[in-house]
Amino acid sequence: MPLFDKTATELSSMLAGKEISSVELTKDVFARIKQVEGQTESYLTLTEEKALEKAAEVDAKRAAGKPLSKLAGIPVGIKDNICTKDVRTSCASRMLENFVPPYDATVMKKLGAEDIVVTGKTNMDEFAMGSSTETSYFKKTKNPHDLERVPGGSSGGSASAVAAGECILSLGSDTGGSIRQPASLCGVFGLKPTYGSVSRFGLVAFASSLDQIGPFGRCTKDIAMLYSAICGQDHYDATSAYRKYPSFLAALSAENAKSLTVGLPKEYFDGVDAEVKGKIEEAVRCLEGAGVTFKEISLPSTSYALNAYYIIASAEASSNLARFDGVKYGYRTPEYDGLIDMYEKTRSEGFGDEVKRRIMLGTFVLSSGYYDAYYKKAKMVQKQIMTEFDAAYQECDVILTPTTPATAFKIGENIGDPLKMYLSDVCTVTVNIAGLPAVSVPCGKDSKGLPVGMQLIGPKFSEQTLFNLSELYELQSGFSYQMPLL
Amino acid sequence: MNRNDYEIVVGLEVHAELSTESKIFCSCKNKFGLEVNSQCCPICSGMPGTLPTLNEKVVEYAVKMGHALHCSINRICKQDRKNYFYPDLPKAYQISQFDIPLCENGFLDIMVGEEQKRIGVTRIHIEEDAGKLIHDDSFDGSLVDFNRCGVPLIEIVSEPDIRSAEEAKAYLDTIRQILQYLDISDCKMQEGSIRCDVNVSVRKKGSAEFGTRCEMKNVNSFSATMRAIEYEANRQIEVLEAGGTIDQETRRWDDGKGQNFVLRSKEDAHDYRYFPEPDLLTIVLDEDYVEGLKNELPELPNVKLARYMKEFRLPRADADLLVDSVEKCKLFEETLAFGKCQPKNIANWILGDISKILNDGNKQLSDTALTPKNLAELIESIEKGTISNTAGKTVLDVIIAEDKNVAGIISEKGLAQISDTAALEEIVKEVLAANQKSVDDYKGGKTNAFGFLVGQCMKATKGKGNPGIIKDLITKYLNQ
Amino acid sequence: MEIDIKHIAKLSRLKVSDGEVQKFEKEMRAIIQMVENLPQLDASGPLIDPQNPMKLRKDIVDHPYRREEILKNAPKTQAGCVVVPKVVE
Repeated sequence: MPLFDKTATELSSMLAGKEISSVELTKDVFARIKQVEGQTESYLTLTEEKALEKAAEVDAKRAAGKPLSKLAGIPVGIKDNICTKDVRTSCASRMLENFVPPYDATVMKKLGAEDIVVTGKTNMDEFAMGSSTETSYFKKTKNPHDLERVPGGSSGGSASAVAAGECILSLGSDTGGSIRQPASLCGVFGLKPTYGSVSRFGLVAFASSLDQIGPFGRCTKDIAMLYSAICGQDHYDATSAYRKYPSFLAALSAENAKSLTVGLPKEYFDGVDAEVKGKIEEAVRCLEGAGVTFKEISLPSTSYALNAYYIIASAEASSNLARFDGVKYGYRTPEYDGLIDMYEKTRSEGFGDEVKRRIMLGTFVLSSGYYDAYYKKAKMVQKQIMTEFDAAYQECDVILTPTTPATAFKIGENIGDPLKMYLSDVCTVTVNIAGLPAVSVPCGKDSKGLPVGMQLIGPKFSEQTLFNLSELYELQSGFSYQMPLL
Repeated sequence: MNRNDYEIVVGLEVHAELSTESKIFCSCKNKFGLEVNSQCCPICSGMPGTLPTLNEKVVEYAVKMGHALHCSINRICKQDRKNYFYPDLPKAYQISQFDIPLCENGFLDIMVGEEQKRIGVTRIHIEEDAGKLIHDDSFDGSLVDFNRCGVPLIEIVSEPDIRSAEEAKAYLDTIRQILQYLDISDCKMQEGSIRCDVNVSVRKKGSAEFGTRCEMKNVNSFSATMRAIEYEANRQIEVLEAGGTIDQETRRWDDGKGQNFVLRSKEDAHDYRYFPEPDLLTIVLDEDYVEGLKNELPELPNVKLARYMKEFRLPRADADLLVDSVEKCKLFEETLAFGKCQPKNIANWILGDISKILNDGNKQLSDTALTPKNLAELIESIEKGTISNTAGKTVLDVIIAEDKNVAGIISEKGLAQISDTAALEEIVKEVLAANQKSVDDYKGGKTNAFGFLVGQCMKATKGKGNPGIIKDLITKYLNQ
Repeated sequence: MEIDIKHIAKLSRLKVSDGEVQKFEKEMRAIIQMVENLPQLDASGPLIDPQNPMKLRKDIVDHPYRREEILKNAPKTQAGCVVVPKVVE
């Protein structure tokens, strides 16, 4: 009986009931990896040996009757921009090709305490900059539902690994849609948590004020379970929020979602592919059938969000990525004439074009004479967007939009046109700009068989409500994840 | 035209390292002089993924300095990134403060000669120090030590109110004293824990406009600051006198050569691309907290100086010397608190013999066993005539080495003077009888015979006779 | 919109070859033209958010790192230090 295609929730109770062992499960997942990794190229680094060791340790603990968490023994893939002690963390960049962190990210410490089994480090767009995982220096990950298409990005490897059964759960990071967009394109669930609810300590920063780590899974319960394990205040992250979090899985209630009022912001449906729109409308009808109330709302500043996003994200990135200078770690050009030459050659050879474009854009918008017109103005737009969301949540509990304007595009289709690529983030960036939580929930496939995702956006710290609504949709639509044939 | 037709205008930016236990943004130890790269962690060495967390003591110390310099405290402020590439700056940005410093709009009163002068303080902000580059000619490259990365700094920026090298020195000395009084910085020049950048311009006397200024970096001592100001002012005057103009530039002071050199012109000035540090939230300080820190301030050196002169009638020179040292003031005041000896006598001992012993041994008071109680008893014993001044020095040697009862030392070493007038009277009578010739000489007008007779009496008491009483007795008998 | 790619590249410590200047310039111009479409908002005040006060860290030393861990990823080390090309400033 294959195990790799089951959900974490199912496997967790099988493990607890000693129907299977963690070692069996881990072996099954690695067998699946061996079978399909050549096609999907989801991983940059596999840690099979450590994984089996950890699985054996969990089995021993279980045999000894020690209390274990629900996640104990579950194989999880980790995006390669999350620092893992003694395991290479490359950010899919030549710059960090050989970087082995001497410390664990806070989320890794937390998951270590939960006894998860790490399968490896997943592919991504270089430094999380991209929407297709094509800017990775090392490889191009394929969408398991159509190997000629992109899995989305930047957490493409984490999404495709979960979608293809190469792990049960995974962690990604989301700065402008990097969890939700690939989740949507790969037909899985992905949560971008409220800013400040998951520690960023150990997440290699792209845009500090927007980045959040979040879970991928094949059902609502799975992401609720993984999110419960990673959220929480961290004294290593000054931006982390001081509050207590419940067990989102234990509190999960589809019933509670039936009385919700969901807003449909008209601005998010402009320019959306007709088939995608059709699937979203179906999902709306399905939820209406369960008793959910819908109403049209307006978020007028949406059209500026993408612009503000690219300014803020690039500005922070230009500063965050300045530390990659060939001095302390990472790539250093072999030949150079003096310090400046060393810096310039190292950075030009170590970074790919998309990263360079964003660094230059960020440098430009912060530079003397342009700061007020670009960076400061973008921050003001950010404030306005936040205010509009606050107002919208006076009218509704959750906002529903498409996650992406279109389904997965072909590899190579957009890579030559940065602006076209940026537009695939148009539905997701506002959420980061406003610091809100949002899940992408699979809601059917288009005529090409490509997954469509809907995005549920809530007020800050409303993850429970989002999970409830997502669970209600799963139940009402009879959703069950279909593993692609590979 | 000559130099005296010009006025020098100076503004100073003082960087002082704060003596917190841990660094500003991580929990590494904040300590100078340890093995290279041994006081670092992923955070201060700028590893990918790490984040800063602000040390509360840094804010506390900076606010205290702000109060001491009469600043208004911005209870809501933030930190900003200052972006530039340099090997000693591992993140390639320094976390500093840009448009909203923690403290601003203060002043400092300094004494220039006998005159008091008020120097404006523009702002005080908090920031992190950079690492250190080690240059070694034996080898083709530079070495980077990250130990100093993340050491907390305050930058104190003055208004261009300083008009001479002497005023700059007085300003810096007062800043240093205050830092020491607040116990927030070690102020060890040789360890670089206090450094300054110097802005100099010159203008014709009477002119209301400021001249173009030049900034000098790398000025590592207060005396170097004076030399650098003199040099730069002269250089600018020479340029102007020759019909030239001053270019706004950054210059590097080379104290060994006594010269400065252009580091970069205005055109090459860095574009630091400041923006709010997204890894830190807003610093919001409670009003009670800020006011509470004001109440914690100790008496500041300029106030203390005035009080010592007025209350204890100490001469300016003594008061200056005491006030300059926190630990000497402390010893002075605590010794005085025993209420048994004269302030001037305490000052004399501290500034005389005690200071000499410290200087000779290159020691601090804290390195010795000297207690205020022992010092008070020593001085009291002298004032009462129990021991002589000379014997006092012997006692001092002991109480500096160990905390031992003064009366015990006096009896153990047999240092007590004979102050019993009746006993001494017998001795004086005997000595005078045995030295009739000297008595006659004295009476015949040879007054130096008096000294001889005192000496004979001291000899007869084996040096323990109270010389004051002996002198009085001899005078009495000779004049009979 | 004039974009001085060479200047921006210099600030960013990136080497842009003469051959690449045009490409980057064209792309950057397009990107900047897109992002500069922002509404007119009052941008006079400082960027500060008093609604989000920060908790500060206690001044306690905790030092679990050895030098080898800090330097193990460095491209070049000597005498317990990272080596860089000679600098004078």
